[in-house]
Amino acid sequence: MLKFWEKRIKTGILTENLEFDKELEKIKKSIKDKVKKHFAGSLAIRMVDSGSCNACEAECNALSNPYYDLGRLGIHFVASPRHADVMFLSGVMTMNMYTHAIDCYKQMPNPKWVIAIGDCVRDLGVFEKTYAIKGNDLKIDHYIPGCPPTPQDIIKGLLEFLKTI
Amino acid sequence: MRLIARFALDNKKDFEIVDVFDKKIERQKIDKKNPVVQSLMPKYPAAIWMERKIRDEFGIEFEGAFDKRPLVKHERFPKNIYPLRKDFEKKDIEFDDFKPYKYEEIEGDNVFTVPVGPIHAGIIEPGHFQFSQAGERILHLEVRHFYKYRGIEKMVEGKKPKEIKKLVERISANESIAYQIAFTDILSQAGESQIPSSLKQKYFTVLELERIIHHLTDLGAIPNDAGFAPALAFMSKLAEDARRVMAKITGHRFGFGAIKEEIELDYETLIDFVSHLKKEVEFFEDWIEDIASVWDRFNTTGALSKEKALKYGVVGIGARASGIKLDRRDNDFYKNFGFKMQLGKKGEVADRFMVRIKEILNSIEMIKNFKTGKNEKLCIKEFKDGEYMSFTESSIGELFMYMKIKNGTVERFYVRDPSHINWQAFHTTIYKDIIADFPLINKSFDLSYAGNDL
Repeated sequence: MLKFWEKRIKTGILTENLEFDKELEKIKKSIKDKVKKHFAGSLAIRMVDSGSCNACEAECNALSNPYYDLGRLGIHFVASPRHADVMFLSGVMTMNMYTHAIDCYKQMPNPKWVIAIGDCVRDLGVFEKTYAIKGNDLKIDHYIPGCPPTPQDIIKGLLEFLKTI
Repeated sequence: MRLIARFALDNKKDFEIVDVFDKKIERQKIDKKNPVVQSLMPKYPAAIWMERKIRDEFGIEFEGAFDKRPLVKHERFPKNIYPLRKDFEKKDIEFDDFKPYKYEEIEGDNVFTVPVGPIHAGIIEPGHFQFSQAGERILHLEVRHFYKYRGIEKMVEGKKPKEIKKLVERISANESIAYQIAFTDILSQAGESQIPSSLKQKYFTVLELERIIHHLTDLGAIPNDAGFAPALAFMSKLAEDARRVMAKITGHRFGFGAIKEEIELDYETLIDFVSHLKKEVEFFEDWIEDIASVWDRFNTTGALSKEKALKYGVVGIGARASGIKLDRRDNDFYKNFGFKMQLGKKGEVADRFMVRIKEILNSIEMIKNFKTGKNEKLCIKEFKDGEYMSFTESSIGELFMYMKIKNGTVERFYVRDPSHINWQAFHTTIYKDIIADFPLINKSFDLSYAGNDL
């Protein structure tokens, strides 16, 4: 255990590491201010995958690693749509997920927003329409493009979204 | 004999069932007017989903099958269409009336069910788990998938082989490199050309890096599900580092588009990184060994017995952690570059955890040995019609890909993701555990939903 604490102290806090570009730090600060202003310091996101390749999920998971650490901006992913302000929607919206995704949206309390993660939601990305794909019918408030969008893209996209409300 | 895949073809005048075993391939033609074939379910339980899928998509009946419920056609999916038949061309279908799905459930006094999913608590893919519980003890679990069923097999039909590359690499992003390598292998077979040895080394370098990223992510997430969050912080940092190296050497964080006919890899960056990573992983191993609370959860949990694993034909980490020597990398080419099979003993969460650590260290060795300065190119001019198969060891397990080319276009495309088999064996691991162990066991396998659902 001693070895661990030695390493812990030597490593320091990575989120303040200077290797990270300053632009991102600036964005993070303004996100924090926006979240404080509009959401009383806490923005809750529910992520729903409607038929993605799982890259978008991996990138959203990466948002909580020590480099990005969305939690310290007051943004966190919640386990229930009933706790959520925003739905992150990824994937092509398959026939089999359609009713579940809509159910999930209905369970969210007002006011609520949907942010699309990745190209699939808008135009299926590289995929094409088949019998098994229904396509998205939920009203999208903001798109974060990319295949998949990188964690930086998602943070930037969140800021753009926060500017619109 | 191990069943690898069972899938169907529509040859216009008849149907054909192809059974791929590890030692042989069997084919049988079926009359279209009365499409019935003998079921393999009783002998090979892994055939359950494969046959239910064929039944849904082709309308072929299986004699002696004990499970005839729909698989990919969920409650409101129309049941009277057979989308993979050649005469089905519709791209839009309407929802049908709601027909309930009959789950495998145990009934009795004080026995209750816990339905979980398809939308889960974390940021994960959709799938449904139906638990029958007696208090905290799990009596039975049915895994139900195909919420992400996108109809990829149909999507690629009629296209030129090269046109579908972008699609193939996005079937399951966490195994993208493995999919690309299997696909390139098929293209080279169809083009009657050989992948040059130095190019193969580069392909496998990227594949090992993908494996490292996958394992690192799990090495953080598994202890986290056992309540030990510092491991998640430690490992998610390393996984992010590895992903950035992937972006640097291939131009994409997931390596989409990385496996090309000619690639240049920045081995210097890569070897610097893996040398650093080796120290970090050794530190991690040393550190986590002393955390008693973690091992208290890992040991005896989620045991996949060798007998069950063999019966289901489990592949990949799941098989190796149960002591089964099964790895598509177990060949002379890989051995020349330092491949060593990593095995567990009891198939518990602890075994799968340790196999992952050992595989990372082995992958690091291999990446160092794969380094090459040669720059050979794969030349594929045109594709010969025919049937081609390829196997790759993805970060989850053995990936099987099949493609039939006719008149220069894709006639039939089929993938058996390692997850397709392992998900079916998953329920055998939970009978001695309580429901709170489920997330831990699930994470220790870390199977793909997208690759399974297609």
